[in-house]
Amino acid sequence: MRFDTIIIGGGLAGLTAGIRLQEEGRRTAIVSSGQSALHFFSGSFESLKDCPEAEELFDRAGVRLHNLPGSRRLLPGGAFREAVLSLGDVSLLPGEGPIGKKALIVSFNGYHDFFPELLAGALEKDGTPSIQGIVEMEELAALRKSPTEMRSVNIARVLDKCPDKFVQKVKELLADGVDTVILPQVFGLDGDEVPRAISEGLAPLKVIFVGTLPPSVPGIRTQNMLRRRYERLGGTFIIGDSVVSGAVHEGIVSSVASHNLDTYRLFADNFILCSGSFFSKGLHSSPTAIEEPVFGLDVEFPEDRSLWYEADFFEPQPYMGIGVKADKDLHPSIGGEKVTNLYVAGAILGASKDGKYGTGAGKAIKSALAAANKILSL
Amino acid sequence: MNEFDVIVIGGGITGAGTARDCALRGLKVLLVERFDMSTGATGRNHGLLHSGARYAVTDRESAAECIAENKILRKIAPHCIDPTGGLFLTLPDDDLNYQGTFVEACKGAGIDAEIIDPREALAMEPSANREMIGAVKVPDASVDPFRLCASNLLDAKLHGATILLYTEVTGFIMEGSRVLGVKTLNHKTGEEGSYYAKITVNAAGIWGMSVMEKAGITVGMFPSKGALLIFAHRVNRMVLNRCRKPANADILVPGGTVSIIGTTSTRVPLEECNNPQVTPDEVNLLIGEGVKLSPTLAETRILRAFAGVRPLVSSDNDPSGRSISRGAVCLDHASRDGMEGLVTITGGKLTTYRLMAEMATDMVCRKLGMHVRCQTAWTPLPGAEGHSFKETADTIWRTPANKPEEPDIYGDALVCECENISVGELEAAIKHLGAGSLVDLRRRTRMGMGTCQGELCGCRAARILAREGLGDKALSDLRSFMAERWKGIYPIAWGDALREAEYTQWVYKHVLGI
Ligand SMILES: Cc1cc2nc3c(=O)[nH]c(=O)nc-3n(C[C@H](O)[C@H](O)[C@H](O)COP(=O)(O)OP(=O)(O)OC[C@H]3O[C@@H](n4cnc5c(N)ncnc54)[C@H](O)[C@@H]3O)c2cc1C
Ligand SMILES: Cc1cc2nc3c(=O)[nH]c(=O)nc-3n(C[C@H](O)[C@H](O)[C@H](O)COP(=O)(O)OP(=O)(O)OC[C@H]3O[C@@H](n4cnc5c(N)ncnc54)[C@H](O)[C@@H]3O)c2cc1C
Repeated sequence: MRFDTIIIGGGLAGLTAGIRLQEEGRRTAIVSSGQSALHFFSGSFESLKDCPEAEELFDRAGVRLHNLPGSRRLLPGGAFREAVLSLGDVSLLPGEGPIGKKALIVSFNGYHDFFPELLAGALEKDGTPSIQGIVEMEELAALRKSPTEMRSVNIARVLDKCPDKFVQKVKELLADGVDTVILPQVFGLDGDEVPRAISEGLAPLKVIFVGTLPPSVPGIRTQNMLRRRYERLGGTFIIGDSVVSGAVHEGIVSSVASHNLDTYRLFADNFILCSGSFFSKGLHSSPTAIEEPVFGLDVEFPEDRSLWYEADFFEPQPYMGIGVKADKDLHPSIGGEKVTNLYVAGAILGASKDGKYGTGAGKAIKSALAAANKILSL
Repeated sequence: MNEFDVIVIGGGITGAGTARDCALRGLKVLLVERFDMSTGATGRNHGLLHSGARYAVTDRESAAECIAENKILRKIAPHCIDPTGGLFLTLPDDDLNYQGTFVEACKGAGIDAEIIDPREALAMEPSANREMIGAVKVPDASVDPFRLCASNLLDAKLHGATILLYTEVTGFIMEGSRVLGVKTLNHKTGEEGSYYAKITVNAAGIWGMSVMEKAGITVGMFPSKGALLIFAHRVNRMVLNRCRKPANADILVPGGTVSIIGTTSTRVPLEECNNPQVTPDEVNLLIGEGVKLSPTLAETRILRAFAGVRPLVSSDNDPSGRSISRGAVCLDHASRDGMEGLVTITGGKLTTYRLMAEMATDMVCRKLGMHVRCQTAWTPLPGAEGHSFKETADTIWRTPANKPEEPDIYGDALVCECENISVGELEAAIKHLGAGSLVDLRRRTRMGMGTCQGELCGCRAARILAREGLGDKALSDLRSFMAERWKGIYPIAWGDALREAEYTQWVYKHVLGI
């Protein structure tokens, strides 16, 4: 099989690059082992304030992004953070001042992945008194039979079928003076119509969606929608397979081999490696080394393992800054020799905040666009 | 109010057992513990209910004590014991002649040791090294020290004892050469207190040395650090030992859902006892030796590293501490130092805690001129009746003062999926067992001790604490819980442990914002 570009890894970086290339009519394939970091996504692209190119690309995929300079977002543990570019159902709050007169925080019986008590404490400090309410619906009763089923994705599966009823139930919980409703992000696995319908259904009350413990419903939705867009553009998405090695001669990758395709190889002019960091197995660590497992790309790391960590959990962890070494065009090297038709993008570059690409999901988007644009410019 | 027959200092297994024994004999007991129960060596050990075989050749007396207590604990605390059995493997590196000496010594100490064919041993324990050239079966078992300590404290309470957690003994109330009681500081409220008793028992483990200094008494102790590694699965069914003279890293104990390899023995300065650290060299040694017992360990993920300090009483100046007797020491400071009303009970092992408690209580009774028989060798601990975890937890937690409430239909939801801990169990621990923080909950329920090391259940439990009215500090508590977990993870953070760590970093800092 021959493609213009083969992308290894179908998370945020791989899909962004893939969509960009397909939109320009290139023939591409994405090979991806499985779950990506998007399954745990907060909905906010760290380090990215705005990025018109990405916002338009995502919009065409049906994923609406927004940001408002100077606004805040509310995190599930009760902290306020400065807002960054975020999915539509990450609520943007005024930069200061109480978020409302009185808030109703809604949860479900037997649901322990959302923290009304912690939010209430944080809101109180911020000047917004709140009450808590529990929505009871027989549709959720089946989930509760098993002690592990009351999780965000399962709840979304149920509630996506009956948003009107949910809105009705919330209205029954309203008390005097409530002008703001806080809901867990457990809506809209297939698109953001459901969260939007709920906001509209509860208007003129202000609805604020707040994240839950993983898995992340907005993150999984984003993954699904980007993948759908990529496939509608004619991209080939091979899921559940892993690239195991690449044939590299004189700084050029000619083909890669995958686990499932056996002896059959995938050929392309260009390759983009978006296999993520340690978590997604794009980087591999042993007691003595940190390696990139597919091509054996150069990675810089301290030999003394104790320097990989900070003993204080809450300090930035040096290992998270470790990634594949790349030049300004995102070309990696093997044993010091540059690989000229291979690009690296996303978390595999390491999470350290660099000036050009930022960190986190912001870095994934910006580096993926940079790699795709470079290929398009050739 | 402040007067007791006996004050016990220390809420480890020795103090808990002594408080229970004293209470069962009708004494009015006060136990004071500076932190939570099981925060000393009792919460940082290997969890092996020794058959005594390990000491049979080198220390016959300890061996005999172990087997006797091993048999008793199986009867009085079956809910804390997993009767796995144990094997002593002779590997190609070891001298097979030692096996004969070993089995003879075991028999002499009353330990049922049986030589079996290596093939039979492999069938019993598929994870054992297939290259073994000899195997001996012994009645080792695995014991849950947290639950054992909690059961003893609860029974003491049921028999009228007063238990003060987070209360440190800061000094003694003395009159001439007699101790009249203790001065205390409550770490939660900052309150100081004075408590009086005819006899005070020092069961403060390795810290007993400094506690005794406050009464002007020197007890020479040998702080011996042991490092251990916890593996993410229960690799072995039976306890695995090396059939040779006791050495480093030669025991693999299955416990709950994990396996633990240990241990080492290094003398450490007293200052390090509060926060013993595991070094990279110790990690390497433990893995290297562990793999010899069970080669699958090479591919098994390590959950965390931890260390504890053994409260050994020193006799000579052996730098490794292995030749010091592991036997118990019970000191009457009246005859030893001319100080009336003060007793020390220390040394020994988790396995022999009951015997140590009996020795201390006998001494207390003698000094009080009482003649009451010890009943702990046959009186079951609370919880011993039920065998399922849930049933046991309920019996342990429900004291008569807290009658069982209406069953909560939402109480079954799981908080910790690795260790199967439900909301109901955590609520019970908060209400009936004085748990006021996540670390307290972990000690009482094993929450957060499984593969994920608390990343999700920590948050869920913080929320339950907040709901039970402990909300003001739920967040800072969650932060210290995660900080504490990380201390045991980073020495072994590579491979899957590093993947999990990276996940936890993102989820806590960016997704949850904690
Ligand atoms: C748990 C978690 C939560 C995060 N949350 C946020 C957040 O809220 N905000 C933020 O800004 N950043 C977040 N990040 C940072 C994250 O790295 C970026 O946000 C971004 O999503 C990374 O995208 P990526 O495509 O580079 O990598 P990933 O999303 O990790 O995707 C890599 C993909 O490559 C696949 N893969 C790996 N090896 C191979 C192979 N050999 N062959 C084929 N496929 C392979 C993997 O299965 C995976 O699907 C989070 C990271 C983690 C780990
Ligand atoms: C690494 C290691 C592995 C081990 N493995 C095993 C094993 O597998 N099997 C076995 O049988 N034994 C084992 N042991 C031995 C066993 O753990 C100990 O012998 C036993 O736990 C000691 O209990 P303790 O109550 O005497 O001491 P501790 O548990 O240390 O309790 C002392 C308590 O006193 C408290 N305290 C200190 N100062 C004060 C004060 N001023 N006021 C109030 N309270 C105070 C402390 O906070 C502490 O809770 C092991 C020990 C170690 C270190």
